[in-house]
This record gives sequence, C-alpha cells and structure tokens, in this order.
Amino acid sequence: MDPKNPVNKLLDLLCFTPAGLLALAVLLILPFVPPFNQEYLIRWLISAALIASLSIGFDFTAGLINIVNFGYCAIMGLGGYTSAILAERIGLSPWLGMLAGGVTAAILGLVIGMITLRLRGIFAACLAWFFGLALMGLATKAVWLTRGPLGMRVDRLFETQSNVPYYYLILAIMVAMFIACKWVTRTRMGMAFKAIGQNMEAARTSGINPVFYRVSNFVLSCALAGVLGGFYAHFYGILTPDMMHTSKTVEVLAVAYIGGRGSLWGGAAIAFPFILAMELIRSSLSNLPGLHLVIYGTLLIVVMIYYPGGFAAFFDTYVRKPKNKFVNYFLNGAYGGAK
Amino acid sequence: MVEQVEKRFWERFLKWIKSLAGITVIATVVIALLATFDRGGYVLVNTIVTGGMTALVAMGLTLTLGVLNIPMFAHGEYFMVGSLAAYYVFTPISEYMQTHPDSILAVLGPVITVLAAMLVGALAGVVSEVLVFKQLRQRSRENWVMNSFLLTVGLSVVLINAHQLFFGADFKGITRYFSGMPISIMDVFISRDRALAFLLAVLVVGAFWFFMTYTRTGRAIRAVSQDETGALIVGIGLNGIMMLTMALSCALAAIAGASLLFMYPAYPAMGLEPLYMAWFVVILAGLGNVLGSVMGAFMVALLKVLTVEYIGSGWDFVVPSALIIAILIFRPSGIFGSEVRGVLDK
Repeated sequence: MDPKNPVNKLLDLLCFTPAGLLALAVLLILPFVPPFNQEYLIRWLISAALIASLSIGFDFTAGLINIVNFGYCAIMGLGGYTSAILAERIGLSPWLGMLAGGVTAAILGLVIGMITLRLRGIFAACLAWFFGLALMGLATKAVWLTRGPLGMRVDRLFETQSNVPYYYLILAIMVAMFIACKWVTRTRMGMAFKAIGQNMEAARTSGINPVFYRVSNFVLSCALAGVLGGFYAHFYGILTPDMMHTSKTVEVLAVAYIGGRGSLWGGAAIAFPFILAMELIRSSLSNLPGLHLVIYGTLLIVVMIYYPGGFAAFFDTYVRKPKNKFVNYFLNGAYGGAK
Repeated sequence: MVEQVEKRFWERFLKWIKSLAGITVIATVVIALLATFDRGGYVLVNTIVTGGMTALVAMGLTLTLGVLNIPMFAHGEYFMVGSLAAYYVFTPISEYMQTHPDSILAVLGPVITVLAAMLVGALAGVVSEVLVFKQLRQRSRENWVMNSFLLTVGLSVVLINAHQLFFGADFKGITRYFSGMPISIMDVFISRDRALAFLLAVLVVGAFWFFMTYTRTGRAIRAVSQDETGALIVGIGLNGIMMLTMALSCALAAIAGASLLFMYPAYPAMGLEPLYMAWFVVILAGLGNVLGSVMGAFMVALLKVLTVEYIGSGWDFVVPSALIIAILIFRPSGIFGSEVRGVLDK
C-alpha cells in the first residue's frame, strides 16, 4: 500500500490496479477451469477478447475525442485483408502481416482523419461510415484480389488444432493495447484529447490544434484496429466482406458504451461476461433467432438513457469508494485511478 | 410592375443558375438526359421512382435532424416497418381479390395499404419518441446529439432483430399492387406501380411542403427547428411538436417503404440501403434543408442508377460514397447550404 513500494510503481506503470490484475489472472487461468476448457467455449472467449480489444481501440476515439468512428470494423477488415493478401501473394509471415495490416489501417485512418475531422461530431461519424461502406463494397467487388463474398482462405497463425495459443495471444494484444492507450492518455497528448472531447472551443482557445490531435488519435485507433484485423484473419482462417459490415461496428460500439465511455477498461471488462451471455442465449435459444440482438439493443438503449456513463461510471460511484483501506487499495491501487 | 417582378425573377434565377446549387441541378438533369439517350428510357424512370422515394425518407431524416436534433440511424427501420405493415395488409386484400376480381378493392386496396402503413409508421414513431427519446430528453440534454445518435443505433438493432424474431428472416414481398398492362410513354414501358409510386411521392412531397409552409403547425415545427427557446417563449408546446415531428418523419419513411414493396420485399435488414441513401442526400444537400433534400434525392438516385448501369451492380456502395466524400472535401456544408448549422456544432 506504500506508494514507494516497487510493486506498486510497476503496477502504476502498467496502469493496473490489483483488482484489474486479479481479473486478468482469472482470464489467464480460465481456459483450464472445467466448463471453459472445451474448444467451443474457448472460441467464445477468443471472440469476447477480440471484441474487448476492439472496444478499447474504439473507446480511444469515441470516449476521448468524442467522435464515433462508424467504420471501425471496416478498417479492421482492411487490416485483415492486407495481412491475408500479403501472406498469400508474397508469403509474408503472419506476424509481420499483422503489423502491415496495422500500418495500412493507420494510413487509411490518416486519410479519413484528414478529410473528416475538419468536420464536426456527427458529420465525421457519417463520413467514417461512408468510408466503411465503400471499403466493404470494394472488398465485395474486387474479386480478383479478395475472392469477394466467397471468402478468402487464410493460413492460421499456429499449426495446432487447439485454440488456447490464440487465446493467450489475443489476451496479450488486449493488454498491450490497453497499456499503450493508457500511456497515451497520461501524456500531454492525452490531456489534449480529453480537452477536445469535453469542450472543443475551450481547447482551441487554450492553444490546442484540434485537427492535429484528432487526426493523431484517429490514426492510432485505426492502427490498433488493423492489427486486430490481422489477428482476426489468421485466427478464423477465412475472410468475408461481411466482417466489415456496419452491424459489426454496432456490436463493438454497444460493448464500448455499455462498458463506459472514456474509461478504456470498461468495455474490455464488460465484454467477457456480455459476449459469453449473448453466445449462450444464441446457442441455447436457437429457435428464437435474433433474440440476443434484441437484448443487445435494448440494453444499449437502457444504459444510454439511465446510465450514460455505463458500467465504468457505475463502478466508480458505487463500488470504488469503500471505507476499508485494504479494499480501497485493492480496487484503486496505491495511486488511485487506472484499471 | 409586372415587368419589374419578371425582371427581378430572372435576375434571381440567373444568380441561382450561377451558384453551385444551380450548376449541380442543371448538370444532374443534363447527365440524366444523356444517359437516357444512351441507354434508353428506363434509366430515367428508375431514377425518378427511386429519387421520389429517397426524397421521402430523406425529408423525414432532415426533419428529425432539424427539429429534434437527432441524427437518426434507425430511419431505415421505419421504412422496413412500413413495408412490413403493407405486406400484412395487402396480402389478405390480394387473396380476396383473387376470388372477387371485380371488387372495388382493386383500386382501393393499395390506397388502404399505404394509408395503413403510414399509420403504423407514425405510431412506431410516437412509441419510440415516448419510450426512448423523451426519456433521455427528460434526464439530460448534455451531449445530446451523440447520445441520441447512440439511442437510434440501439433502436435500429432492436427493430431489425424484433422483425427477425417475430416475423422471420425470409423475404415477404408482393408481385404488384395494380394489375394490368404497363403504361407506354415513347416506347418506354412503365409498370403502373412505378408510375403511381412516383405520383404518390410527388403528392406527399407537395402536401408536406404545403403543410410546412402554410399551416400554423408547420410553422411551429419550423420555429422549433430554428430556435427552441424562442419557440418556447412564443408559446409553442415543445412536447407536442416533437412528438408530431417524429410521427411525421417516421410516417414519411413508412409510406416510402409501403409503396416500394413491389420492388423491395420486406426483410429484417432492408433498412440499411434507404438509410445510407438518405444520409447521402442529407449530407449532400446540407442538414435541415428540406427543399434541398428533395433535389439531392434525385441526384443520389441518378448516381446510383448510373453506377449500376455503367459499372455494375454492387459498386453502388463504392462510387456514390467516393463522390460524396470528394464533394464534401471541397464543400463541407453541402451543396445547398443549410439553415440550421447549429446541429453541426454540437
């Protein structure tokens, strides 16, 4: 509990509270705990972790600079296709391919950002959406490159049949993304992001160039999506333009906002129970198709109306202020704040 | 006196021609005519029918944006609601018609269908206003545009999947509203349904324009869109106006959905296409500009028809969005400009 304790310093550097660390540890041993050690449950866990990571990247723009990137999954798809095409045509290793996916996504993010972020809020969201639609259309029609709706086969990353290595990989990516985003928010740049998100005129008056900061935020978040797209391609082994559809972005958006905007960790924390519950409903009530998405949408509406801050705000107001010193340390770390 | 008026009219007309709006409108007409000569009249017919219906959807979208400040993402779903209602109203009618071919329903049936769809759409609008938007409005108006946008996203997910849950995911369509030979104009055959769909669009746009310009309620709606506080001060009941606006805009979308049922059968995700077409229009024409959105609708429809005609189907996702992005780089406030810039700044 002593702030000078090296363990605490390390935790602070990694932006984790002891509670966050415990949650991570639970996630790490989860594939070996009986109900979860079946392959299909591990697949669910992986898709939950993927959504969790996407929601971190999404929240980085949506929560901080208050711009909804409505083409987020399309950008992820671009990363995935880049990685897959590079692996197929020139035999690039998937690991480098994922990075290449990140780079192309970042370049596209730069282009979109330069064009859209001169505009305001909802306009930028719409233009990002149009870009996403255009990308999806391109992926559907450029059959010579992507095989279109038939789907493009991609080599998987590991040669085992087991899904466990993928799970650890996506967890590692998720944690790395979280730490990277958190570090950025601690710098001067992060302060600028928050200022722009809260009140753009005030930020502009204090000498912050909104376009520069918004574009750099956008580029970073798109790059993360590209890397995740590479993972998606090499995990599922097949890419269809459907992964770039608006409804996929809506899925990520719902998780990010139910988790709590601007918190970064909220979406990641809520994604696991949420996605598992949704998959459970979908598979056990398969005679009622669409029910899980109705619940999804209703939950998003209810959270937006009654609790716009989402799970993170709920956690911060009701759980995070215990009287007990030890519990307080456990929940907030030695410095307070962070995950 | 008359000469002066005429002269002023001509001056204004020439000025309008030289403005960006005039240039684009004339270019659209010219391109449409050229394409018609090149490929045949059905290009023009398709443009006009799609454009008329897109205009209805886009007008509703403009209305919600201007008056309620809600960037509606669920507007395509009201289109879907309309076509679903039309399907369930028209199927029994057409079955009855098969046994009684000479009944009056042959003419009245489609009218009843569209009216029913309109009512259902308006009802859906009122319900979503009361259950969703009003709740948020009462709680917090902070960051309203973004929050309400997310609400509409949730609403869209709920409506699409409720359709799938209760009515199934299959295509529910009809072959035609009106039987009989297609109308032939200059060697172009237009089915009666298409012709009547366009007439209906013209009628509705006209009625809507009249309502907004000349009635007290319409003026009240426009007042709220210009300045909410001011409207409150002069004694306009905001709640009623907001509910009415929502009902109107959803009914417009539902009319479009119902009258296009013979072209697009009802299925859960059908709303996406009219939705993004309408957003193209709204962004192209400038937010909150109702007349502009009518003209923009025909432009977008032409763009889409030409893309399908010359480049191939499936590219209609790509080419129009690329062009609109290109236009927006040079002209962020849209071609026709907008009266309610306030929406953008929130």
